[in-house]
Amino acid sequence: MLSRIAESMFWIGRYVERAEDTARLLQTHLRLIIEETAAHEVDACRNLLALMSVDHVTDPTLTDLLRILGYDPSEPTSIYFSFAAARDNARRAREVIPLDLWECVNTTWHQLPTAPFGPSGAHVFLNWARERSAMFAGISRGIMVRDDGWQFMSMGRSLEQADMTSRLVASASLTHGSTQWPAVLRGCGGHDAFLRTYRGLYTDREAAEFLIVDARFPRSIMHGLIAAADSLQRVAQNNPLTARHAEPALRSLGQLRARLEYADLDELLSNLNHEMAVVQDVTAQVTIAVSTSYFAAEEPPAWTTEGTR
Amino acid sequence: MADVLSNYPVGEAFDEMIDVEGSVRPSYRAVYSALSRSTSHDLRVIAESLANNYTQAGVTFDVGGVERPFPLDLVPRVIASPEWEIIEGGVAQRVRALEAFLSDIYSGARVISDGVIPGQLVTSSTHFHRAVWGIQAGNGVRIHVAGVDLIRNPAGDVRVLEDNVRVPSGVSYVMTNRNAMITAMPEAFANQRIRPVAGYPTRLLTALRKAAPPGVEEPTVVVLTPGVYNSAYFEHTLLARTMGVELVEGRDLECRRGKVFMRTTAGLQRVDVIYRRVDDEFLDPVHFRSDSMLGVPGLVNAVRTGGVTLANAIGNGVADDKLIYTYVPDLIKYYLREEPIIPNVDTWRLEDDQAREEVLDRVQELVIKPVDGSGGKGIVIGPRATKAELDELRRRVKEDPRGWIAQPVVQLSTVPTLIEDHLQPRHVDLRPFAVNNGEDVWVLPGGLTRVALPEGELVVNSSQGGGSKDTWVLSPPPHRSPSSHRSATDHSDDTDDQAKASEMPPLHRPAETEVPLTVAKVPVTVMPKMVEAQRQQQDQQQQANPRSPEC
Repeated sequence: MLSRIAESMFWIGRYVERAEDTARLLQTHLRLIIEETAAHEVDACRNLLALMSVDHVTDPTLTDLLRILGYDPSEPTSIYFSFAAARDNARRAREVIPLDLWECVNTTWHQLPTAPFGPSGAHVFLNWARERSAMFAGISRGIMVRDDGWQFMSMGRSLEQADMTSRLVASASLTHGSTQWPAVLRGCGGHDAFLRTYRGLYTDREAAEFLIVDARFPRSIMHGLIAAADSLQRVAQNNPLTARHAEPALRSLGQLRARLEYADLDELLSNLNHEMAVVQDVTAQVTIAVSTSYFAAEEPPAWTTEGTR
Repeated sequence: MADVLSNYPVGEAFDEMIDVEGSVRPSYRAVYSALSRSTSHDLRVIAESLANNYTQAGVTFDVGGVERPFPLDLVPRVIASPEWEIIEGGVAQRVRALEAFLSDIYSGARVISDGVIPGQLVTSSTHFHRAVWGIQAGNGVRIHVAGVDLIRNPAGDVRVLEDNVRVPSGVSYVMTNRNAMITAMPEAFANQRIRPVAGYPTRLLTALRKAAPPGVEEPTVVVLTPGVYNSAYFEHTLLARTMGVELVEGRDLECRRGKVFMRTTAGLQRVDVIYRRVDDEFLDPVHFRSDSMLGVPGLVNAVRTGGVTLANAIGNGVADDKLIYTYVPDLIKYYLREEPIIPNVDTWRLEDDQAREEVLDRVQELVIKPVDGSGGKGIVIGPRATKAELDELRRRVKEDPRGWIAQPVVQLSTVPTLIEDHLQPRHVDLRPFAVNNGEDVWVLPGGLTRVALPEGELVVNSSQGGGSKDTWVLSPPPHRSPSSHRSATDHSDDTDDQAKASEMPPLHRPAETEVPLTVAKVPVTVMPKMVEAQRQQQDQQQQANPRSPEC
C-alpha cells in the first residue's frame, strides 16, 4: 500500500480514538469539577489541561476547558480538531476507505458544533462524540478488509488508546483522595466490569491494576500495547521484504509491556505520574519509529541524478 | 398541464421537454407523468434528498480550496435512442479523427505537407510539445479519454462546441448523479429502459491496461492526482476506487532508469500505466515547469524510453486548440474519408484579415474565446460585456489574432429545472465521454449535462454557478429486436446488465413467468424459548407487583 495512504490510515485511527477518549476524559472531570466547590475550578482545569499538554492558558475556567478540549477548531487538543483531522485524512485516503465508513466520518464532520456551548450543552456533545466514534469502530470492524490499511488504522487506534488511558489514569491522582478511581473507571466504561472482576471489594491498587495491566479490558493500557504490536507484526508478515522495518517499534512496545507487567503495583502507584508519562513517551517513540519505517519513504529528490545512474 | 409545469414559459431556445405547441415530447413522457403526480412540496423533498445525499457522500468540487456541493437538479435530460445513435457516432468519429491527427503531427506531419492545415498553426499552439515528437507509447493510443462538448441550437440541431482531449473531467458526476436519482426519484425510472452508466470504470481500466508498454502482462495502473485541493479531486478518488487502483500524488512516484515506481509500505513498486489528471506543464519539472511540485522528475524520459504509458498522452492539447477545432471537419474528411456527422458551431478565424475586421465590428454581438482555454476561462460574451471590456478585448485580439476565435451567441437548449418552487427553463449543454482502447472508441451512453442556474445564463460551467442533471439515454424499444428476450450472447457486458437490473424498480417490472424456487428452505436458528414451567416460576415471583390489566 502507498506509504502516504498508510500514514493517513494510521492517523484516522488515532484521531477518531482521540476524539472519543477526550470526550471520556472531559465527561469524567466535568462531573467532578461541578460536584466540587467553585474554589477548585481553576486548579482542576489547569491540572487537566496540563495533563493534555496544554499550557498556554493562565487561570483557565470551565469555559476554557470546554473550548480547548471541546469545540475550538484551532486548538489541536479539541474534539473538533480531532474529528476534522480524521476527516481530512479520510479524504486523502478516500479511494481505499469503504463508502459507508467515509460517509460516517464525513457526516461527523458536517455535524460538528458551530457555536460555543456551556456545561449543560457539553454532555449532549460529548455523548455524540462517543457515539460517532463507536459508529466508526463498528462500521470499520464490520466491513473493512483486514489488509495493511486496516492494520495501520488499528495500530493508530491502539497506540492512541494506550496513550489516552495513561492520561486518564494519571488524572485520578490530580486531587488527593481515593474518590477519583470510580469516576475514572466510569469514564472508561469499565466500572461495572471492574466491580464484577473484583467482587466489589477493591482498593486503588486493584483499580490501577485493572486499567493498566489487565489485558482483558479493551481500554487498558496493556490491551492497547498488545493490539498495536499485533498490528505491527501482521504488517511485517504481509510484507516480508520490509519485515525488519517493524523491529524498532516492536522493541519499544515490548519493553514497555515488560516494565508494566512485572512492576510492583505499590511502587507503580506511588510513582503513577512518572510511570504514565513513560507510557506517553513510548507511544510517541513508537509513532516516530513507524513513521520512519513505513511513511517517510521519500528520498531526497532524485531528478538531479536521473539519467546518470 | 400539471401544477408544477403550469406557466412554464417556452422561450426562443429549443426546450428539450416541451415543444413549441406546449406539448410534452415523446421521450419525456415518463418523466412528465412522474412530475405531474408531484406537488411542489414533493419536488422540494426530492431536491433536499438529492442535496443531502451529496453532502453526506462528499460529492463536491473545490473552488479556491473550499469544497462546494455540485447541485444536481431533479429533472433529468432525456435523449431518445435514435438521436443518441447519431451523437454516439459523431463523437466517436471526432475522436478517431483527432487521434489520427495527433499521431500524424507527432511523426510525419502529412497533414501539413498535404496542405490541409497550415504548419504554423500547429507549431504556434502552446500545447504542442516537441519533447514527445516521435513517441508511439503502448498501443499507440493518445486520446484514452475524450469529452466532447455538444450544444443544441434553437433549430434543434446538435453542434460540437469544443473538444477536450487533455484531461476532460466530469464523468464522476455522471455516475453519482445516476445513483442519487435512483434513490430520490425511483418512480421516474418506471416503465422505461434507461441505459446504464456504471460500466465506465471497467471500460476505462480495460483501455488503460491495453495501453501498457509492450511485454507487460499484468500492468499496474495508477491514477495520478494533483492532490486533495484540486477541483476534481472527488472524481480522482471515485475513479481510483471504482477501478480498484491506487490514487497517487507526484510525491508518491519516483523515476529510476526510465522506469516509474511508487513508494509503498513494502518498498518500491513498478508502475506501468499512469492515468494522469495533472496538466502537461506540471508533469515533469525536468522538461516543463521547473517549479512544479505536482509532477515526477524524469517522467518524460520514462515515457520516451517506453518504461511507462501516460494517459492521456503529453501534447494532446494541440488537438483541442480552438483554432484547430475550426479545421476538424477537414481533418475528418482527410483522415477518415467520411463526412462529419455532427457539424461545428460557425467560427471565425481571427488571423484572417477580413474575418477579423468583421468580428471587431460586431464584437458586441459575438462570443470571443481564447484558443487554449478550457472551463469557461477568458470567454467574453459580447452582448453582456461592458464597453471597457470590449475595448480591451479589441486591443488584445489585434495584438494576438492567433490567440482568439469568435462565435455567434448560440441560445443553448433548455430543460425544466427546479428554481425555488417552480420548474423554469434553464440552458444546458452535454459532455459525452469517449474511451479509446485502441480497437474501438466507446461512448458512455449519456454524459454530463451541465445546467446554468441563473436565468438566461449561457455559461454552464460549474465554477460559474452551474449545476448538473442526470442524463438518460433511452434504450431502443424492445419490439425493434426480432425476439423480445435478449439472447445469451447479448450478455457480454455484465456490468451493464447488473446496473440495468438495479435501475428498474422491481415494482414496475413487466410480469414475467414465475421461476420455481431453487433454494433449500432452511429455518433460521433462534434462541431457545424458556421452558414454560420456568417462566411460570419466574412470573410467580412477580406477584407482589400490581398486574397489568391485559394479564
